[in-house]
Amino acid sequence: MTGLAVDDAAWASAWRRRSPGDKLLLCLGLVVCALVLPAWPGSVLVAAVAVALALGPARVPARTFGRAVRLPLAFVAVGALTAVVSVDGGLGWAPDAATSAGALVGHALAGGAAVLLLATTTPMADLLPALRRLRVPAAVVEVASVTYRLLFVLLESLSTIREAQAARMGHSTWRRSWRSTGLLAAAVLTRSWDRARRMQEGLAGRGLETGLRVLPEVLPSSRPFLACSALGLAGIVSASLAVA
Amino acid sequence: MHIAEGFLPPLHAVGWTVAAAPFVVHGARAVVKEVREHPENTLLLGAAGAFTFVLSAIKLPSVTGSSSHPTGTGAGAVLFRPPVMALLGTVVLLFQALLLAHGGLTTLGANAVAFAVVGPWAGYAAFRLTHGVGGGLLPGVFVALVVADLATYLTTSVQLALAFPDAGSGTAGALAKFLGVFAVTQIPLAIGEGLLGVLLFRVLTVNARPELERLGLLRPVAAPAEGGAR
Repeated sequence: MTGLAVDDAAWASAWRRRSPGDKLLLCLGLVVCALVLPAWPGSVLVAAVAVALALGPARVPARTFGRAVRLPLAFVAVGALTAVVSVDGGLGWAPDAATSAGALVGHALAGGAAVLLLATTTPMADLLPALRRLRVPAAVVEVASVTYRLLFVLLESLSTIREAQAARMGHSTWRRSWRSTGLLAAAVLTRSWDRARRMQEGLAGRGLETGLRVLPEVLPSSRPFLACSALGLAGIVSASLAVA
Repeated sequence: MHIAEGFLPPLHAVGWTVAAAPFVVHGARAVVKEVREHPENTLLLGAAGAFTFVLSAIKLPSVTGSSSHPTGTGAGAVLFRPPVMALLGTVVLLFQALLLAHGGLTTLGANAVAFAVVGPWAGYAAFRLTHGVGGGLLPGVFVALVVADLATYLTTSVQLALAFPDAGSGTAGALAKFLGVFAVTQIPLAIGEGLLGVLLFRVLTVNARPELERLGLLRPVAAPAEGGAR
């Protein structure tokens, strides 16, 4: 358990051993379909495929997937409503308000589900090495890898310190709560520096000279998976263009 | 206020990604240079990114609305400078999209412009300006964090207004709509983040003075002269 439900789901997913490149191609294909195809039926098909793959073969817990899909809903709902309200000469609805709002919500939900399919089946530790193949500099990937590994340590510190503050009445009044939150942020920052310094000293003692090199885990690509992905995406595009 | 995945039309998503690219590449070059010259700073830079991510997970007390979390990029800009934050902020946005379902991949460029470029640069400029007119560290931090938040919120509203102009009043009307709707959460949040920054840096000036001196935020205290009269 890492403390982030999406990351936990990714490590436990039945697709964990699949090649990150294969999953990236499938999910980015779905993201692009959700963005460029008409909301009906393109977004509906993309969302249905993403949810079916996540809950079916990838065996992502429905609760985790459902909760993560709901997270951006507040922004999507407020944003879509604001976009279709007209303020010209008083408040009113823009022409085709319901269609436009529905399309916006459809694109956002379908795209969100496609990104979540990637996020709940592929741990960041598998995705970051793939960035090297996209010619992202090694130093940037290393910094991102350290960020990924340290953030769980800091999230645990955050939770422990907050619990300790609450047990000591640190959040009993508005004033105390602000003071505790400031102390919490400062404690997390100083702990992050301390962790980094201790790790650096430990690595320096082991001869850190040319970066943090680790053996990459080889997850071979699957031709049947790639072929099914291409067929599925082609099917979504064809069906959308035929209906629209 | 991250723009959700799929919310921006394709051309806008591509356009904002192109706009963000030079700043992120500039930040990446700064990080590559730093890591090449001082490999040991890889861990400090990683820690800075992790802190920015975790800071955005701290809930601010008594601020209304569902988005009552700091952006963290204003504090990052004061501590680590805007070019580094352009890269670290983008990495944090990528992690937020893939670990928390906040933001998205096609909207990463637009969110990076608002959170990792405009916010940190505006906040840092406000910090330097406040310092320049004689304001101390804490007033500078307060102004920097409030300005960084407001600049981020303003940029996101402009991005949404350009994507969804009002049927009658065009982009200007749409901008007024988005600024008005999101002001309910974003203005209290900006003030809240400014207050949090003051509390954070007040603790740091006591508990982490050497680190702040090394980052150039505080002047080193002169060591007492040795061999004085007994």
